[in-house]
Amino acid sequence: MSGEIAMSGDVAGPGGVIHDLGYQHYDGPRLGRAAIIRALCWHSLRSAFGIGRGAKAKIVPILTFAIMCLPAVVNAVAAARGGGRVVPYDTYVFQLRGLVMVIFVAAQAPELVSRDLRSHVLPLYLCRPLRRLDYPLAKFAALTAACLALIEIPLLLLYLGTIVSASGGGAVWSETRALIPGLLIGALWAVLFAAIGLVLASLTGRRAYATGAIAIYFFLSWSLASILIGVTGGRAGPVASPLAARLAGLVSPVTVLEGVRQWLGGTSPSQVPRPGSAGILYGVMFLVLLGASLGGLAARYRKAGVS
Amino acid sequence: MSDSRVIESAVGGPGLTPAGVIETQALTKRYPRGVTALDGLTTVFSPGITGLIGANGAGKSTLIKILLGLVSPTSGRASVLGRDTAVGAERIRTLTGYMPEHDCLPPDVTGTEFVAHMGRMSGLPATAARERAAESLRHVGLHEERYRLIGTYSTGMKQRVKLAQTLVGDPRLLLLDEPTTGLDPGGRAAMLDLIARIGGEFGISIVVSSHLLGEVERICDHVVALERGGLLRADTMTSFTRVSQVLAVEVEEGRQELEAALTRRGLASRPDERALLVRLEGDATYDVIRDVIADLGLPLNRLEQRRRRVEELFRDDQAPRDDQAPGGAA
Repeated sequence: MSGEIAMSGDVAGPGGVIHDLGYQHYDGPRLGRAAIIRALCWHSLRSAFGIGRGAKAKIVPILTFAIMCLPAVVNAVAAARGGGRVVPYDTYVFQLRGLVMVIFVAAQAPELVSRDLRSHVLPLYLCRPLRRLDYPLAKFAALTAACLALIEIPLLLLYLGTIVSASGGGAVWSETRALIPGLLIGALWAVLFAAIGLVLASLTGRRAYATGAIAIYFFLSWSLASILIGVTGGRAGPVASPLAARLAGLVSPVTVLEGVRQWLGGTSPSQVPRPGSAGILYGVMFLVLLGASLGGLAARYRKAGVS
Repeated sequence: MSDSRVIESAVGGPGLTPAGVIETQALTKRYPRGVTALDGLTTVFSPGITGLIGANGAGKSTLIKILLGLVSPTSGRASVLGRDTAVGAERIRTLTGYMPEHDCLPPDVTGTEFVAHMGRMSGLPATAARERAAESLRHVGLHEERYRLIGTYSTGMKQRVKLAQTLVGDPRLLLLDEPTTGLDPGGRAAMLDLIARIGGEFGISIVVSSHLLGEVERICDHVVALERGGLLRADTMTSFTRVSQVLAVEVEEGRQELEAALTRRGLASRPDERALLVRLEGDATYDVIRDVIADLGLPLNRLEQRRRRVEELFRDDQAPRDDQAPGGAA
């Protein structure tokens, strides 16, 4: 293409040697706004896993992904020895997943937005064909996709590890039917973690502060929910919990996701009391958290200046 | 194919609107807190390099934001490259490169990666973005350095990367906001030469905002001067420079003697702070001053074309126009 001619300096042409051709106009295709958003999303997704960055940027993504896959690997070994599936799809390993997701989002959401704020690069996006909210939209899509990969790939490994040792089509079919709700719940996790992580990270250009804010918010609210569940008698046993205990999980995104799972019919044992009639409140709370986070993110970038 | 390209760039490239590159009509912007940033601005920016000058708060950045379609005017209208900013902002932003005044570069990527990414954000496919990134960086004078992290660059190199990211999308118009900020005199000169080359050889129209009249003077074909949100003056550069030829002569002692001696040689002068201002008619003026000072044996501190700052343009009594220049007054 034309660029190669200019870059290579002197080029032998039919009329002799052409020296530096100078500035060349671009007459190739120009992609529209949707394609630019996709390009930004892909670029951000890569950086969420530290691809295209230094080795240090890859530590957290690789470690969290490896830890998240461990239960699936353990399960595959157990299944191969005839033990069947030991890890449920809909909760996976609840505590581990919660911990890993908080660490991943706390480390990587600032990577997607805080560093751009820090280096004031936003005006360069705004002066291009993108519209104001395209930037946060692309970032949200990218971090959601990254969280999905982190949650769903281990689930698929879990599935594969189980059906390899399963006997008969019926067993495979029942595994598949169990997997699908697990994937859906995983998607709710991904969307909510991405939204909350990004809105908190977009508040500051200081990466360390953003990471701290995200980790503190998730862990503190989660601890609070656990304490509330404990003191209201939510750990009493299989008997129906008092209403206060059934509402205690509403204070933290992690326990809200557990409440929503049970409200939607998830049956695996949980550390969050079955919400019962309060289940719809968990659904509402999920939407409120998601809506507030995305609304906050949009507001943050709507007023971002060009200089 | 390559022949036609050479010709194309030599004649200035396609897509230039014949009349104004930018036109504004009664453009007004009032912010909620009662600040009026632009107040009925009506002006035309011609093709070529235009200096947009004005003190801080004169409305330069508000004008740039409106031109890019990032801020809506309270009233009035503006068009860029023949497209109305109210409806054609996305197309305008595709055809326009913008260089902000302040730092806007991430330190932890290489120059070439960054500019290629910005090329993609301008709508180029991946391969084209990489090629044009390499080319743009070469045009601004970054060669091997482009593979280094931006964090290791000098201020001058960073300014060049900022300029390269405006070129990567092959714009028809560049909006450069104070492009020499933070540069030393050598870096300033190099940056101005580069801008002049882009405006001339590359055939891209350029608006350079600056508060330094001297810079604008060196490279611009036109000047648009803003004051308190309105148009102070819009004219070709030559009409500005013609009336601003003033020499400042400063001697350690004997200023009165010098003034008298200059008058005898037919050069009127006017005291200004510690210096004498003399209208510069040509090289002969320098010779006369040199001879007079040598004859009198005065210790010369300074003899230079007076450095004009844009503020002077905004003070009627100070503006070195014909009627106020020392020669005309005497």
